[in-house]
Amino acid sequence: MSATIPREHEPTALDDGVTASTGAARGVARREPVLEIDHFSVDYGVGENMVRAVSDVTLRLERSRVLGIAGESGSGKSTLVYAMTRLLRSPGLISGGEVTLHVTDEAGTVTPVNLVSATESELRKVRWSHVSIVLQSALSALNPVLRIGREFDEVLKTHRRHLTKAQRRARAVELLRMVGLNEDRLDRYPHELSGGQRQRVMIAVALALDPELVIMDEPTTALDVVTQREIISELGALRAQFGFAMIFITHDLSLLVELADEIAVMYAGSIVERAGARELYEAPRHPYTLGLLHSFPPLHGERRELTGIPGTPPDLADPPTGCSFAPRCAFAMDRCANDKPSLVEVGDTGRSVACWLFDDASGSRVPVALSRVPSRAATTKGET
Amino acid sequence: MRGLALPRSPKVILGLGILGFFIVMTVIGPWLAPYDPSSTAFTALLTPSSHHWLGTTSLGQDIFSQLLVGARATMVVALVAGLVATLLSMIIGISAGYLGGVPDDGLTLLSNVFLAIPGVPLLIVIDSYLPVNSRSNEFVIGLIISLTGWAWGARVLRAQTMSLRNRDFVEAARIIGESRRRIMFSEIAPNLLPVLASSLLFTVLYSIGAYVTLAYIGLTSTATWNWGTMLYWAQANNAPLSNEWYWFVPPGICIALVGTGLALVNFGIDEFINPRLRAAGLTARQRRQLHLPRRARLGLTPVLSATPAPRPRPTNAVAK
Amino acid sequence: MRIVARRLGLYLLTAWVAVTANFILPRLMPGNPVQTLIGKITSQVTPAEIRAIRLSFGLGFKEGLVAQYFTYLGQLFHGNLGVSITLGAPVSSILRESVPWTIGLIGISTVVSFVVGTVAGAMLGWTRGSRFDSLIPTATFFQAVPYFFLGTVMLLVFGSNLHWFPVLGAYSQGATPGWNWSFVASVIRYGELPVISIILSSVAGWMLGMRNMMITMVGEDFVLMAVAKGLPRRKVIMHAARNAVLPSIANLSLAIGLVVSGALLVELVFNYPGVGDLLLQAVLNEDYPLIQGIFLVITLTVLAANLIADVVYLVLDPRTRSEAAV
Repeated sequence: MSATIPREHEPTALDDGVTASTGAARGVARREPVLEIDHFSVDYGVGENMVRAVSDVTLRLERSRVLGIAGESGSGKSTLVYAMTRLLRSPGLISGGEVTLHVTDEAGTVTPVNLVSATESELRKVRWSHVSIVLQSALSALNPVLRIGREFDEVLKTHRRHLTKAQRRARAVELLRMVGLNEDRLDRYPHELSGGQRQRVMIAVALALDPELVIMDEPTTALDVVTQREIISELGALRAQFGFAMIFITHDLSLLVELADEIAVMYAGSIVERAGARELYEAPRHPYTLGLLHSFPPLHGERRELTGIPGTPPDLADPPTGCSFAPRCAFAMDRCANDKPSLVEVGDTGRSVACWLFDDASGSRVPVALSRVPSRAATTKGET
Repeated sequence: MRGLALPRSPKVILGLGILGFFIVMTVIGPWLAPYDPSSTAFTALLTPSSHHWLGTTSLGQDIFSQLLVGARATMVVALVAGLVATLLSMIIGISAGYLGGVPDDGLTLLSNVFLAIPGVPLLIVIDSYLPVNSRSNEFVIGLIISLTGWAWGARVLRAQTMSLRNRDFVEAARIIGESRRRIMFSEIAPNLLPVLASSLLFTVLYSIGAYVTLAYIGLTSTATWNWGTMLYWAQANNAPLSNEWYWFVPPGICIALVGTGLALVNFGIDEFINPRLRAAGLTARQRRQLHLPRRARLGLTPVLSATPAPRPRPTNAVAK
Repeated sequence: MRIVARRLGLYLLTAWVAVTANFILPRLMPGNPVQTLIGKITSQVTPAEIRAIRLSFGLGFKEGLVAQYFTYLGQLFHGNLGVSITLGAPVSSILRESVPWTIGLIGISTVVSFVVGTVAGAMLGWTRGSRFDSLIPTATFFQAVPYFFLGTVMLLVFGSNLHWFPVLGAYSQGATPGWNWSFVASVIRYGELPVISIILSSVAGWMLGMRNMMITMVGEDFVLMAVAKGLPRRKVIMHAARNAVLPSIANLSLAIGLVVSGALLVELVFNYPGVGDLLLQAVLNEDYPLIQGIFLVITLTVLAANLIADVVYLVLDPRTRSEAAV
């Protein structure tokens, strides 16, 4: 049973590795939050046509940590991050909750900024300096008629006014080198670069102002597997060097295991499970997480049988009354069709799951597939 | 195969209303006309009155009758020219896009040449050589106008066809051995319906402009009544400078209204083709009710309820 | 540069088509209008001029069609566009008088209209949903009004009724043509109303086209990224507008032809001494050499304008520069 996982398996040990040292290098206490999302809900439209795309999500991300958000398309994972940065397009609107970004200024003072109530000019100050974004398609995220150098230049010009033109150029060259690109790329246009180069440019631009938080919205999905692999490992190295916190969105759980400290799995707009990366990978608790793990081959390590998840995600315009995963769930009980489970901690391991199987009061038996104990290797993930 | 369900926006409804009105006028206008438009039986230059709603010309003709009778020739020419031009652009555009290679190069070159030649001056040259009896024939004029108006549609349709050429349903039709002509005009063409409709509206608009222009400079038979010849006679008799607005303003307004109707309907088609042009999600009324800003602003996702109720701190935050 | 060469090739071909149309058309029509025309020539034209007209149609000697065609091309190459039968002067020298007026009038109004329409369209697209949207039906109406009709109304209201602008002609009778201040001032004053008329008729087209493209561009990721980067609003708008203007420029080839056709008739309304006014006279008098000459000049000017637009497009869009094809 999940409750029997010994305390020492909690992934605190890995924090003593890379992340802790970089956190210290930045002069920031490790446990300080960089982002707090509190009962956050997002709708598309209002009235009869309203669709609740994100419902009541609560998340907390600490400095220099990586949070992976996984889910199928339409699970609300992208909507969540766009809405929380107030970048979500119409007809999306925030229907409740709060988002607090803890902004560190140059003097090292930390100020909480409520993004939900922030004005346009407040948002403009926070954007890119403190939170930057990398999109799935770098080709569409780069202005097709501008040279790559302009992407760096305008960001630096806007937020670092004291820099001269030559200094801006030098900084751009430095950033490009960091992602393994030659400075001659600065004078190229986006269409002249390969997909991998473009995505590296996007990452370099995202790091230009040394932000506390970088959001990666499926940055590697459009790339081939080899490039994908390279970029993931480069991201790990960059994070070790600069200590930014990261939210990494993907539908590929096996990728997150490589990179993330924690993983939140979203389904139909809600978080259904959240746990340390290795634990979640080794020992999923939610039936949906189990299904996701069986949908992708792991990047390395043991092979799993790919079974996928039968059925399709629910129509969010007409969500099921009970658990939204119940119609596709192999372990569904009578109760699942009527009552919606909420996200509760399972045992004392700090992981939580929204599933009736783990409700002690219901007395149901947790299936074997969902009650495995993570291997000891989980605790040493930080060194891989 | 997609149908063409126009978005029901006020613009489209207004446009369809205007077009409907003028189509009715085209059909029954000549019967409604109170007098013979050519009859010079009345006093010259009467101002509008209950007998002559739009007054009379300097020859004593009833202007209102001319307007009603003139609708038919104007609309028929525009429609004939629009339909023939769209048919031409469909055949040329789809063939070029689907066949590719040498036929594509040739047809593309042909349409580029026709695009580059200014259409109306070419029309004027052609028309000036026409014998007078051909100039009074709406169908001949319509055909000539269509010759100068097909190229734009062909270019757009070629591009659209090329994007469809390798779709599964076309591939499937090829595999089961359907003939090229069948694939082009039974498989591909129906998928280009919105583009075809848009191109039809544009060529009709162009044709009205071209026809009226020809008539205005006296290159159609001045004995056939259309809105352009009305303007021709008004200009020839110095109506604008003599303040006889009732003579030349009504045909001008009618031409502009038909054009407005066509353009408004085209807004709907544009929105159908390009979903980004559709008004997204919230109506103006919903926005007001929810105290949201009047328009959606990029990078400022609106927040419902100005003062969110304070909530308890989360108990299940990420691993402590 | 390869693309410019290709476009230049296309325009040369187009010019050749126009030239050839001028040769073929008179021969296609029943009763051969050229013979009729020459028969109609009155005594005010000298025998030498009749010969020039015959030559300009390729009818120099009794030869076959091919030889006639080459005679025609040769004459054209030497600037012989024939002699106007009503004005009794060589078509080329008549055109030399009137073409500058037309290029000045249409050139200025087209540039102003394009710039104003594009800027207004960009703003309309960006502020979509605001109260400025109510401009759209009005703009649509103006887009549909024939140029010459709008010109007529302008002439009537602001010229002959309100007397805000001088009407009819390109300069006042008192001014002596030349580079003197009173003449230039008079030209500007007389040009105002025609220019405004052409701008009013053509600006809505640019504006609505730009608005649509702007809305499409605002939906692109790179514009969202510009916002995410915390750029000032002005810069975000520029990101979108810079890309949205490209289709407008690409469509110039179609639009220039339409604008020129419309604007020619505005000259006619205002008795402006340009090519448009000349064209009407020529049409009324069945002055075929003049009609054909005007058609050629208009076509060549429009082609030159197209070439300029192509070069501008090439400068603005790096993608076309590197793709050798198209």
